[in-house]
Amino acid sequence: MDKDKCTGCGVCAEACPIRYEVQLPPEEEAKARSAYAQATDEAVVAEIIDLYRDEPGNLLPILLDINSHFRWLPRPALEHLSQELQTPLSEILRVASFYNAFSLVPRGQHIINVCLGTGCFVKGSPRILAELERKLGVKHGETTEDMLFTLEVVRCIGCCALAPAMRVGDDTFGRLTPGQVGKIIDSYTKTANL
Amino acid sequence: MKLTSLEQLQKIKEKGLQQTYPGKIKIMVGMATCGISAGADKVYKALEDKIAALKMDAVLEMTGCIGFCQQEPLVDVVYPKKVRVSYATMTPAKAEALVEALNAGEFFGENVLCRIDQEEFLVEGTKKTYANPHPPELPGDVPKYEELPFFKKQVKIALRNCGYIHPERIEEYIGRGGYTALHQVLTGMQPEEVIAQVKDSGLRGRGGAGFPTGVKWEFCRKAAGDLKYIICNADEGDPGAFMDRGILEGDPHAVIEGMAIGAYAIGASQGYVYCRAEYPLAIHRLQIAIKQAEDLGLLGDNIFGTPFSFKLKIRKGAGAFVCGEETSLIASIEGKVGEPRPRPPFPAQSGLWGRPTIINNVKTWSHIAPIMARGAEWYAGFGSETSKGTTVFALVGKVNNTGLVEIPLGITLREMIYEIGGGIAGGRAFKAVQTGGPSGGCIPEEFLDTPMDYESLGALGSIMGSGGMIVMDERDCMVDVAKYFIDFTKDESCGKCTPCREGTLRLMEMLEEVTAGRGQEGDIEKLEKLSRVIKKMSLCGLGQTAPNPVLSTIKYFRDEYEAHIWAKKCPAHVCKELITYRVVPDNCIGCQLCRLKCPVEAITGAKKVVHEILQEKCIKCGTCYEKCKFDAIVVE
Ligand SMILES: Cc1cc2nc3c(=O)[nH]c(=O)nc-3n(C[C@H](O)[C@H](O)[C@H](O)COP(=O)(O)O)c2cc1C
Ligand code: FES
Repeated sequence: MDKDKCTGCGVCAEACPIRYEVQLPPEEEAKARSAYAQATDEAVVAEIIDLYRDEPGNLLPILLDINSHFRWLPRPALEHLSQELQTPLSEILRVASFYNAFSLVPRGQHIINVCLGTGCFVKGSPRILAELERKLGVKHGETTEDMLFTLEVVRCIGCCALAPAMRVGDDTFGRLTPGQVGKIIDSYTKTANL
Repeated sequence: MKLTSLEQLQKIKEKGLQQTYPGKIKIMVGMATCGISAGADKVYKALEDKIAALKMDAVLEMTGCIGFCQQEPLVDVVYPKKVRVSYATMTPAKAEALVEALNAGEFFGENVLCRIDQEEFLVEGTKKTYANPHPPELPGDVPKYEELPFFKKQVKIALRNCGYIHPERIEEYIGRGGYTALHQVLTGMQPEEVIAQVKDSGLRGRGGAGFPTGVKWEFCRKAAGDLKYIICNADEGDPGAFMDRGILEGDPHAVIEGMAIGAYAIGASQGYVYCRAEYPLAIHRLQIAIKQAEDLGLLGDNIFGTPFSFKLKIRKGAGAFVCGEETSLIASIEGKVGEPRPRPPFPAQSGLWGRPTIINNVKTWSHIAPIMARGAEWYAGFGSETSKGTTVFALVGKVNNTGLVEIPLGITLREMIYEIGGGIAGGRAFKAVQTGGPSGGCIPEEFLDTPMDYESLGALGSIMGSGGMIVMDERDCMVDVAKYFIDFTKDESCGKCTPCREGTLRLMEMLEEVTAGRGQEGDIEKLEKLSRVIKKMSLCGLGQTAPNPVLSTIKYFRDEYEAHIWAKKCPAHVCKELITYRVVPDNCIGCQLCRLKCPVEAITGAKKVVHEILQEKCIKCGTCYEKCKFDAIVVE
């Protein structure tokens, strides 16, 4: 701010997007952050931030990487990011809550994406979803109690010609029938218990 | 090594051809997302293991999707000095048998789809013919590739290499004439000449609106400022469409080369590909492709030793449909919330970080190199009067042949659905075809002879869109379909402008009432009125087109709405509140199949005793109806 020119009108203070944010000196800010669940997490996030540090418009790629590492966006990571990027947490949360890919609550070990795109819809994917909801005992958008599965809905994974389709983690399944769904889920439950 | 001359490119080309056509047995597996989800990875593994076990001298490769997704997993075999044969719906067991036959020097005669006698090198305008298309061991009735109804009317320009090359090898792309157009442009053409050629070709944007590409480039070229950007829109938000995925997974260099040419034409040095995160494999292959192009100096500084420099980066989307809209997409690359802004200024004047920016769709970009190499006149020779060239459709839904189809614009919907698509699956009756995704409309039977071009589809209240084409049959309820699309746009509305945010919500509520049998007199008129308001008042293309599915279904299927409202019936037996499942005692033999399959134990009855459905337990999932082999369950 140029002190010589300031008239003290206060317009800038009112317009300031971070005027309600608590401002702490850098050393104290790091201490004030919520604690990471594991000590190694901080290093992971720091590494992701460093990867994109000098790139313009880096918020989205960083959030995507954090989201795919933790399968959700833990609050300490967002606070960490806010501090490193000098971006208010409120703005980061606004971006994080706008896009469907991000989750602000923990998600299960396997994320199930049932396609409800048009191609799958006309081929009966609502029934696949209903079967999964029954099988897992959760509604879509929810996570099973054992934290093994999160059931989500996507709008097209590009497998429309083999509809109905779903994705479990990185594996894609096409030409599904409600009957197959249970077996597919069981195969993941088994590997998890080994 | 950084290439600086045509001779050096030629060397790579020879290497590429050597890889694509190794002169011995070559087995190719279609490994795009569609193939993998049908089990191509397991087929590949089986082939690999068997080849190793037999210590066979054969080349096993993966390739992109040739388009016939219905027949996945597809495996192609090049019988050396003979012909290439495609095998459909392969399984690991069949794969092993295939390798055994090949190892014994025999022809494998099961699961044969077609034989490919020749391959077109589109960019060069040449054909490579296989040495002996009719070896004696090949049964006479194996159809040729171009004789199959699915492929017969197709002209592959954007998809020229998909299914023919290894998508992760730049040499193979160069082998089929890749990057020669870029060399030709950089060493022999002025940017204005490039733009003129694109204009003359008549190419229009393939991402939805169909704006003439050359005109857009000219705006951007003339816009003030020396820093400009170029973007490839690979957000492909239209559910039920996967053309862009097919190209990126099968031939990523086609997009890169097109973008480099475009960057030269408008004077940009930095480009972005904005790809949706739901396409991990496309992103992966694009990353590899960019790296390879950089290593050869086809991206980066001083391409081909000229002063032109161009860098390309990938940006992943994060699952928001509205980010396909160009101003939202730009906001998203800038790291912001993907909300649209009013135009003008258009991105060509003020786009990414306030700089002039060109955004084109994946398909648009992949047409550029052939247009440069073969000329505007050649390209304009395909298509109709107002819509030149070819475009790619994703033909899905209730047709027999689903997949990616590239056709010259102007062929009729009927040709598409009944010839290429092979008609409606299961012998049922056609009801409607939906084009243009959530922005498009449903077209009924009486307009099937309409040519597919931008104007004709627009006149029917639909749009060409990006190329999604979903065929529906008599078992689809059009009110339910309208509700489905409104549910989609309601969820995906960014919320910035009120008509779109609130309007789609109200439309959804009204449609829910109608499908639940609580519709009233005047509802149809209310739906129409609100739809018109949303169309007129919304800020961006999402809201402006969101009511199209409602309006077009009311226009062409008003009787279905009326049946829901007056008779409280769903003619297609879809809307759960309006249907009941019942056992026909005369037909039921008491086989127990439905009782065992019912997920909620709503069916009672002992063996050989007529069953009964407990209506209070029934969730109307339709499983019993589908399982019954004796027509003993009816829905009404
Ligand atoms: C709501 C909405 C979604 C869109 N989604 C896409 C998309 O997924 N892919 C695309 O290429 N264009 C999409 N578009 C069109 C783009 O705004 C833009 O017109 C297009 O990318 C320009 O490229 P083209 O001239 O090559 O068609 C969308 C437009 C709207 C209004
Ligand atoms: S509609 Fe389900 S994968 Fe495209």
